[in-house]
Amino acid sequence: MSKAASLFHPKRLNLSGFVNTRVIRDNNKRMAVEQHEPERQALRYMIRNTSLPGRVRAQAQLQLSQMHSYTRPTQVKNRCVASGHVRSVFRDFRINRFQFRMQALSGHLPGVKKASW
Amino acid sequence: MFANKTRSLLGAGKNLRKLIAIPNSRSDPTNPEPSSEPRVKEWAERLGALGKDTRLPRSVQAIYMRPLRRKAEYGLPVCDLQLRSYTVENVEFFADFAVRAAYYLNLPVSGPVPLPRIVERWTVPRSNFVHKKSQENFERITLRRLVQIKDGNPKAVQAWLAFLRKHAFYGVGMKANIWEHDSLDVGKSMDESLPEIEKTLGSHLAQFGQRKDNSIEQKMFDTLDNDRFAERKNL
Repeated sequence: MSKAASLFHPKRLNLSGFVNTRVIRDNNKRMAVEQHEPERQALRYMIRNTSLPGRVRAQAQLQLSQMHSYTRPTQVKNRCVASGHVRSVFRDFRINRFQFRMQALSGHLPGVKKASW
Repeated sequence: MFANKTRSLLGAGKNLRKLIAIPNSRSDPTNPEPSSEPRVKEWAERLGALGKDTRLPRSVQAIYMRPLRRKAEYGLPVCDLQLRSYTVENVEFFADFAVRAAYYLNLPVSGPVPLPRIVERWTVPRSNFVHKKSQENFERITLRRLVQIKDGNPKAVQAWLAFLRKHAFYGVGMKANIWEHDSLDVGKSMDESLPEIEKTLGSHLAQFGQRKDNSIEQKMFDTLDNDRFAERKNL
């Protein structure tokens, strides 16, 4: 009856680009969420369906609460693909504000220029 | 790119002479040249003669003028092509190309219409840590052009889009909305085409179905207790 996060480790590292422990962990969570989404949705449906007997709904609630935290979609956090930073990551470019500035200044982001108006 | 806006072929000829600034070394046409000279003349000579007694092919001349257009008979929009780019030159050039290609496919076209620019701005601190007082602004301006095809044949429109995709220009994105029109008794024609569609879909639909043991009698308890869920419980 272990709840080890190591269950979600892939056999081989399926990541490229900037990699550190926290990036790998986030990736594991993403894969776990994707894999267990149908189960979560089935249980959620059972819990909310008032036409089902109470015992079924209670059992579904228990099972949902017993699922591993990694299968929860709220566990996923966007991280910078260039530095692994979590804060101030732009959705448009998937990079951190500082990486954005560096790459924009060196012309790696198409169309992004210094603005003055 | 096409700064030359002259319409008549005569004007284009004049400008061509200006464009090709090669001295006309050709001898007087009244004196026939000796037969020992090669039949095909040098490039400089041939280009020099362009303004005088020869001309470029019409299709090449057309490049120096405004794009030719077909006239729309009914004005029914059939296809909206939106071009997007971060560079003015690219999007202008490709819009012009699209209009010219439409002419040769016999498609009436309107545009290119300049749509509003999309301006995205970001303000970021210059430093990687604190120092919020010193920031920097960045922007990305997306330029858009709309090219609309009017009452064209759907197959010709497809060919036009395929041609544009084949010759896609760097840094220019394309997005097309296509409308197809049918006669009023569209239901009848759809009914007629149904058996053929069913035949082609048969192999796909055969893969859908319900298990025979999947009945309402089966209780939710069983579902919750079955192997798949039970396996997960130990996780």
